[in-house]
Amino acid sequence: MDLLNAFVALSNFVLIPAIAYGSQLALGALGVTLIYGILRFSNFAHGDTMAFGAMITVLVTWWLQSMGVGLGPLPTALLALPFGILGCMALVLVTDRMVYRFYREQKAKPVILVIVSMGVMFIMNGLVRFIIGPNDQNFADGERFLISARDFKKMTGLEEGLAIKSTQALTVVVAVICVALLFWFLNKTRTGKSMRAYSDNEDLALLSGINPERVVMYTWLIVAALATTAGVLYGLDKSFKPFVYFQLLLPIFASAIVGGLGSPLGAIAGGFVIAFSEVTVTYAWKKVLGYFAPAGMEPDGLVQLLSTDYKFAVSFVILLIVLLFKPTGLFKGKAV
Amino acid sequence: MTETVKNTALFLGVAALVVITGFMQSWNSAILIVNMGLISAIMAIGVNLQWGFAGLFNVGVMGFVALGGLAVVLVSEPLSPEAWSAGGWGIVLALLLGAATVFAAVMATKRMPKGRNRALTVLVVLIAGFVIYRAVFDPNVMAVEAINPAAAGNIGGLGLPVLLAWPAGGLLAAGAAWLIGKTALGLRSDYLAIATLGIAEIIIAVMKNEDWLARGVKNVIGLPRPVPYEIDLQNDPGFVESAASLGLDPVTASTLYVKLGYSVLFTVVLLVLLWMAQMALKSPWGRMMRAIRDNEVAAEAMGKDVTRRHLQVFVLGSAVCGIAGAMMTTLDGQLTPGTYQPLRFTFLIWVMVIVGGSGNNFGAVLGAMLIWFLWVQVEPLGLWLMNVITFGLPEGSALKSHLIDSAAHMRLLTMGVILLLVLRFSPRGLIPEK
Amino acid sequence: MSGNPYQDGRGNKDASITNPHGIGTMTPAHRKSGPTTKVDGGPFLIGDTMTGGYGKGPDILHECTIAVNPGEIAVIVGPNGAGKSTAMKAVFGMLDVRSGSVRLDGEDITKLTPQDRVVKGMGFVPQTNNIFTSMTVEENLEMGAFIRRDDIRETMEQVYDLFPILREKRYQAAGELSGGQRQQVAVGRALMTKPKVLMLDEPTAGVSPIVMDELFDRIIEVSRTGLPILMVEQNAKQALAIADKGYVLVQGRNAFTGTGKELLEDPEVRKSFLGG
Repeated sequence: MDLLNAFVALSNFVLIPAIAYGSQLALGALGVTLIYGILRFSNFAHGDTMAFGAMITVLVTWWLQSMGVGLGPLPTALLALPFGILGCMALVLVTDRMVYRFYREQKAKPVILVIVSMGVMFIMNGLVRFIIGPNDQNFADGERFLISARDFKKMTGLEEGLAIKSTQALTVVVAVICVALLFWFLNKTRTGKSMRAYSDNEDLALLSGINPERVVMYTWLIVAALATTAGVLYGLDKSFKPFVYFQLLLPIFASAIVGGLGSPLGAIAGGFVIAFSEVTVTYAWKKVLGYFAPAGMEPDGLVQLLSTDYKFAVSFVILLIVLLFKPTGLFKGKAV
Repeated sequence: MTETVKNTALFLGVAALVVITGFMQSWNSAILIVNMGLISAIMAIGVNLQWGFAGLFNVGVMGFVALGGLAVVLVSEPLSPEAWSAGGWGIVLALLLGAATVFAAVMATKRMPKGRNRALTVLVVLIAGFVIYRAVFDPNVMAVEAINPAAAGNIGGLGLPVLLAWPAGGLLAAGAAWLIGKTALGLRSDYLAIATLGIAEIIIAVMKNEDWLARGVKNVIGLPRPVPYEIDLQNDPGFVESAASLGLDPVTASTLYVKLGYSVLFTVVLLVLLWMAQMALKSPWGRMMRAIRDNEVAAEAMGKDVTRRHLQVFVLGSAVCGIAGAMMTTLDGQLTPGTYQPLRFTFLIWVMVIVGGSGNNFGAVLGAMLIWFLWVQVEPLGLWLMNVITFGLPEGSALKSHLIDSAAHMRLLTMGVILLLVLRFSPRGLIPEK
Repeated sequence: MSGNPYQDGRGNKDASITNPHGIGTMTPAHRKSGPTTKVDGGPFLIGDTMTGGYGKGPDILHECTIAVNPGEIAVIVGPNGAGKSTAMKAVFGMLDVRSGSVRLDGEDITKLTPQDRVVKGMGFVPQTNNIFTSMTVEENLEMGAFIRRDDIRETMEQVYDLFPILREKRYQAAGELSGGQRQQVAVGRALMTKPKVLMLDEPTAGVSPIVMDELFDRIIEVSRTGLPILMVEQNAKQALAIADKGYVLVQGRNAFTGTGKELLEDPEVRKSFLGG
């Protein structure tokens, strides 16, 4: 039995990656949930919106790198992020104006907007592949580790190393800032409150003099910022590949639904639930259990519940379980 | 212009596109487009059953198509007694144990009173079941996969004629659809969209990773075909002679003959399914389905079992997609799980149905043919366009090569634009529901 | 199949992709406001010989006239389906008024959208879905004052003075309140715009008789401040008892008009609408 080493191994391979991944999912799910709450449909183009924002950031990062501009130990992408957000905002506003607004004027049913978002998904997907290509792109630079495994071992004298990638730390810090800003905005500012009011009761919001077009515009702006941030953080942590972003749609939807669609708090909780279950179920527990088990009783196999290729299956099963027992999600969402 | 004339003109227009392809490019590619178009049409009929008739939002078409493909391997591959004796039965046993575990857990949830005891029992059943399942499953899988891994390593098939795989693919997809529908449609509000989106990814993950089943990403190639092989035709003096009398060289003639053979088979299946779908649409069952779609509350108040009807149509539509999937794998002659992508196998089918006209079977067929044609032809068109645009740029310029390389991605863009244009200017599709 | 292809019912039940919660159902007569014209004289608010219906549908109102002056409570009563709410909606611009006009404070506002009428000083309390259930009471009031850019604290104090229970529950979600309290929030929200006229669509629908009496007391209190109140009521007797002016509508036409007292005493009205 070696609890300390077991805990360090657990943190290294499960907790830290899951927290980072959970933050990324939460940011993505927040965007989906905001659109669902205010524009009242599930946006299939969200993964590709993330990809687009991240792509702009990648391109600006490369440009900055070629100019020799950097942030020292921090990734240059952080400097490029505002440009990515602006680019993404421009894209979604143009899309809204050219595509979605027409259907709002027609008072189209939400499902029409879902199908419309499929078309937007095709276009954005094509656009991203057209501009940057379908391949993996690396844009991370700066210090790779906040604490490397070797330093940690030296510091503590433990057998197990604990590595914290700087991108993981950065992910959590940025996500916390974003979420705090978002909640402050939604709960304390006039515009934020008007967004909640519009989501709650569109007719009454209109009667109160709230301009729906402004609400929708602010929603898209916030969604663009969240999506780009989520996309860039994911890209820094893993790598940037357009198709992967498209595939993220499933865990992101799952997070939003598990948490309760339309509930921002739920989106965050859902993100972490999905991330933790994915990482836990697909992690090979041999090492951690080895520290727990008495000498000579260490497990032989990998003790991996499912191979990592099944991570989508995990998010889906969690989703089903939650829906079976709590149809509105963990936090009461709008879907009843 | 009456509706019939307009619709005929639309179909003739698509046919003309194919004929032009035949003259401009080659008849081989033209017939290839037709063949995949026919398969797409069947998928579109399946989606149209679900979306057009019943308003069910299935974004997991890819999964059912892939299951159809799996059925081809399981039905038509030769028997592999070696694999079965090594561990095939063990795997079956393990799967049964797994199913029994789930069943026991469900039973415990249903029968026992709510409380901590129930939760504990369910948890214990699940964990114990999982451990036993893995204990039986893993060694048997290892044994099966160890058999000649370079060429086999899977449990093989039933060695039956490949045509039987088509209905089998339908059945397999129907079974999966029943399971999904039972869980997702029974929830307090429907969560079918997310359920199908998830299950499709899971099916692909299973097919990629469970090598014992159909070799996973190692692919199964050289599947049996319902039509003769080109090489046999070329060696058949009778065939060469009749080809020569038509003024064709034996190689071209044999490929055309094989492809046309597929076309005939596919057309027969399409016509049968189309006829059945039309009959269903006009039957009391179809009318009730549309009544439910248009006003679920009223239908429920009239005593219609909405969930049951939805389950029926969901299973039927998925089965049709499964049949199409089996046909496609047969046409390809190989099963390659890595090539299944949602954009191509789920969302493109949706574009076909919406563009053709949701709720109209002929619309679905037309949309499928037209969109498939564009999907294939946009790439060369895009390349040509890029060459024209970059004509003035110097050879070897980075922008020029980037633009030309990127032309391949034009098709996604085009599909999106077409979908949006149709939704905007002809929201009921090219052939609207009557 | 409906005429509008974008409004088919198909596939809107799937909660993982569509969110029907709080979706707008209002059908304003005009999407864009037309011009207004100055007019002289007449009552403070009047819907004058209004004839019209929803969208392209048949006429529901026939030369119906409804008016109210400062300090007055005007009540619209009548049997079910008489067009009571419709008449009020016509005044508020949710009905296509094909002939006749709506005038407020010396201005013809017939061509304005409901939103612009709110800006002009109409406070409207719908019959149902009249509060933001997920927001706190205070936030509801704040949203009521959304069009105002000045300090709203004083108005909020007035509302709290009028409905003391709301002060107590100011940080509670409005959806958690009782039926009567919710109606108070709804009226309070409308008062926050500092309207020139207050319009209530069946404010006592679905509340107990005791709560109804209390609500009527509050409405009288509001009216004493000089604010004209136009109200549709199902409970004709109680409503006419507090009314300065009563309108009895039958099939979209004015059947009887008079002070509340006159109508209550009119044998014809008593026989046909008040149950003897």
